[in-house]
Amino acid sequence: MNARWRITFVLALLSFCRIASTPRNIASAAAPSPAAAQPASASVEGQSLSIPSTTTAINSPSPLSQRVVHYDIDARYDARKHVVDATETLTYHNLTGQALDHFPFHLYQNAFQPNSTWVREAKTQGSRDTGYDKWDPKEYGSEEIKSLEVVGQGDLTRNLQYIAPDDGNKDDKTVIDLHLAKPVPAGAFVQFKIAFQTQFPETQARSGWKRDFVLGGQWFPKVGVWWQGAWNCHQYHATTEFFADFGVYDVKLTVPQYEVIGASGVQVSSVNNADGTQTVTYHGDDIHDFAWTVSPRYKVHESTYQSQMGPIQLRFLMQPAHWKHVERHERITRGTLDRFEKWYGPYPYKTLTVVDPEPDSAAGGMEYPTFITGDDSWLLPNGLYFIELVVEHEFGHQYWYGMVATNEFEDAWLDEGINSYTEVKVMDDILGKHTSILNMAGISFGEREEQQFSYVRVADRDPMAQKAYDYYSFNSYGGVTYGKTACVLLTLEGIIGEDTMARAMRAYFMKYRFTHPTKEDFLKTIEEVSGKDLRWYFNQAVYGSQVLDYEILNTTSYPVDWFKNQDKKTGKDGTLYQSFVSVHRKGDFVMPIEIEVKFNNGEKVREHWDGQSRWTRFGYQRKSKVMSAEIDPEHTIQLDRDNFNNSRLVEPNPKPTHKLSMYWLFVTQWISQAMAWWAV
Amino acid sequence: MANLLSSGLEKVSHNKRYIFWFWLLNLTLAEFGTAAFRRSAHAILDRSLYAERLVKGFDLGVLRELLAKPEFGTLNSMTYPSLYFGFVFFLATALFLPGIFTGYASTYRLPREEFFRACGCNLWRFIRIMIIAGIIMGIIAGLLFWANSAIATKADQSTNEKLSFELEMAGLAVIFLVMTMLRIWFDLAEVDTVLNNQRAVRKSIASAFRHTFRSLARLLTSYVVVTMLAAIVLLVGLWLWMKLVAPENVVRAFAVGQITLFLLLIPRFWQRGVAVSYWQELMLAPFVPRSIVERSPTPVVVAPEPPAGDLPVAGTPPVEPQQL
Repeated sequence: MNARWRITFVLALLSFCRIASTPRNIASAAAPSPAAAQPASASVEGQSLSIPSTTTAINSPSPLSQRVVHYDIDARYDARKHVVDATETLTYHNLTGQALDHFPFHLYQNAFQPNSTWVREAKTQGSRDTGYDKWDPKEYGSEEIKSLEVVGQGDLTRNLQYIAPDDGNKDDKTVIDLHLAKPVPAGAFVQFKIAFQTQFPETQARSGWKRDFVLGGQWFPKVGVWWQGAWNCHQYHATTEFFADFGVYDVKLTVPQYEVIGASGVQVSSVNNADGTQTVTYHGDDIHDFAWTVSPRYKVHESTYQSQMGPIQLRFLMQPAHWKHVERHERITRGTLDRFEKWYGPYPYKTLTVVDPEPDSAAGGMEYPTFITGDDSWLLPNGLYFIELVVEHEFGHQYWYGMVATNEFEDAWLDEGINSYTEVKVMDDILGKHTSILNMAGISFGEREEQQFSYVRVADRDPMAQKAYDYYSFNSYGGVTYGKTACVLLTLEGIIGEDTMARAMRAYFMKYRFTHPTKEDFLKTIEEVSGKDLRWYFNQAVYGSQVLDYEILNTTSYPVDWFKNQDKKTGKDGTLYQSFVSVHRKGDFVMPIEIEVKFNNGEKVREHWDGQSRWTRFGYQRKSKVMSAEIDPEHTIQLDRDNFNNSRLVEPNPKPTHKLSMYWLFVTQWISQAMAWWAV
Repeated sequence: MANLLSSGLEKVSHNKRYIFWFWLLNLTLAEFGTAAFRRSAHAILDRSLYAERLVKGFDLGVLRELLAKPEFGTLNSMTYPSLYFGFVFFLATALFLPGIFTGYASTYRLPREEFFRACGCNLWRFIRIMIIAGIIMGIIAGLLFWANSAIATKADQSTNEKLSFELEMAGLAVIFLVMTMLRIWFDLAEVDTVLNNQRAVRKSIASAFRHTFRSLARLLTSYVVVTMLAAIVLLVGLWLWMKLVAPENVVRAFAVGQITLFLLLIPRFWQRGVAVSYWQELMLAPFVPRSIVERSPTPVVVAPEPPAGDLPVAGTPPVEPQQL
């Protein structure tokens, strides 16, 4: 038996023991106990391989995740060319339970090329930032593997092959597959030594440069995730985000000395080099991505937040023109942290970097582990809460993506949608229910309304349970993934109760943090905590595209003895009235509802309807007339697509119309005057 | 400048009825322009409890949902009627302006028929002036806005975030001044056409051009001051609306809004009064170079003889007691 076979045998034996003692399905595994997270190690050709069990970057004495990867990257950034030249040593722990003979890698920056799937989709279906009406060379990005060596197997660069598992686009280079000369046995470690070069585009999809700023996101070759018995390594799509395994990151960044730098994890060291550069080293534990930013003009504000697990260093990198907004950034960060820790669970990391990115860049509003970007403008007035909205949302991703690391390619609603729901809860709590986006000059606008509006536009287009790249359009993806999910969960509060929903959310977070749960993990947690079978709801709301729309169709009241005294239009006191309230289910979403009927003597009656038939009618005979009827009087059914038809007044109230019309009249008159001012 | 402003304001104050009629016309046309909006809004809002969020305060979410409803109609179907009736107001202004100039130049209360005669006589002349003004102002405004945008785009590459905005604002200020200059030019041309009974509008335009740039500082300052006052009126009006009017008090809000709009009409009439005053002061007589004036006796300023059946000018007694 030669040395290679001996090693393989030992690794196979180790992996067998590992399989026997750890759950096979890592996707459904709960957060490992510290004991389960003890590092394993193996020797490959004399080198001892392991994933570090460091805890430098977390407020925990032991690792929190089942660490699969260790990235050790040494990168040099050329600020003039916006190019990174780097070497990456990736150690991978094969916890899949089977031997692996190939490894797919994401090369995300290759998305920004004219024939890539990302650009094709952005052109046809829209994207967040770029329409690609014409190709601008500045939008070009690339990520090229110069060489790849597998320790113990030699240089395998020639074995690399671009693949397009989602759409077969031969011009797409966002996934590259490496076939190994020898499979990596279950439980074994494998180490890749990669030399690569990344050319950043002018900011696209929250990555790249703008003027002298750069946001280094998705910038290094990243291995796919073995998930549900197969490699999960999708191409980069215009609507998708990311998915990666937890692990340890050690990253050395060499940048010009004039740059102010921020990154994921904790800063370990900083050295000034003789060539005018500085090398700053960062370390991250139990994270699944690493991002960084530099700009020579950042103004830095630092403070400490005392979390449930220990102190967190808050670091705000602000644009000089936005310095007056640093307090707003800090206030919303602390307020959000408070609520997330209280409602869902502790934030275990030692740092949180909040970046105020370059203005007019497509870098605002992005989440990376322990690192988020906000979005600001020096013109933003105090009553307009865009800063708060973005910072809250991106911080929320530290939980829904950062720790509960769902598959953003396939179940985008689990991170974006749940995060939109918690965003509504936090923003409502901090800034008021209907005033959490705008509250100035007597005008208000809330986060709930925003989520509902984004959903209503595309209500019947796509179900939530759909791969992010299979949505009809970018708007449909956004409206359903963010807006509909928030509405579905807010409506769910009305079904199981707000407190139960809060307990379910906490249970879900605590159970699935540092794992890759599926949609069923989330839905079953809610059912378990609430003790209710909610399939009737999930099948329509999550797996279906049914639209919920109930309306009060009609309300009538007339004297019972109407045929007597027909000249009388209104009855005097004591007149007995026959009243009817008709309710209609306009949409195909069936849900039981409450109806409140108000009578003109102040009396209120609550009715319950299962909503199974298309319509129902409630009749009353009493000495008062119906004044109004309202579906969902507690306003819990956020999913209802039309709020106007949920109620009906018997006597019309023209005041809202008068007010609106008067505003419109003013604007019309003013425009007329302005036109006449200049034109004649 | 002060003389021009006070003289112009005096003309406005002696003819306040014009402002009232223009305000009424403005309101009436806007009522027509907003009818479709009102009808659609009634159909959706009047019987819904949800609409009450528009009354106590102003929930933008409710408005947004309303505008997005297919039953409400597209936003275009609401805005186009407003714009059409705005255009009608602009045409009406063009139609009645000659009468207003005549009234401002008169020392007596202009009878209604003289007013309308002036309007009718000068209609085609005004259309020609407006076309020429539209072409010139359009080209210059287009070039200026293009240059402003190009400068802002270039400045956008700077790392100074405010630079682009500041340059754009400075550019808009320049555009405002240039457009005001052009407005002065064509205001004087219009006044000259009407009061000089000038059939050949090109002569009025040429004469107005010379005078505009000869007295640029004086005229421009007067116009800018009045425009600033208009801006202040608008801001104060909106501030009072927000501060003094309870959100649910539609009647009071209507009153404050209409008073503001009424007051906003005054500045433009004031500018026209300034133009008439300037015309009477310096354009009434044919222009005589200073050197000639020094060597010759001062010419007697005489109003041009109106052709039979044409407009009377300053000093002519009223023909009819019936007044506008």
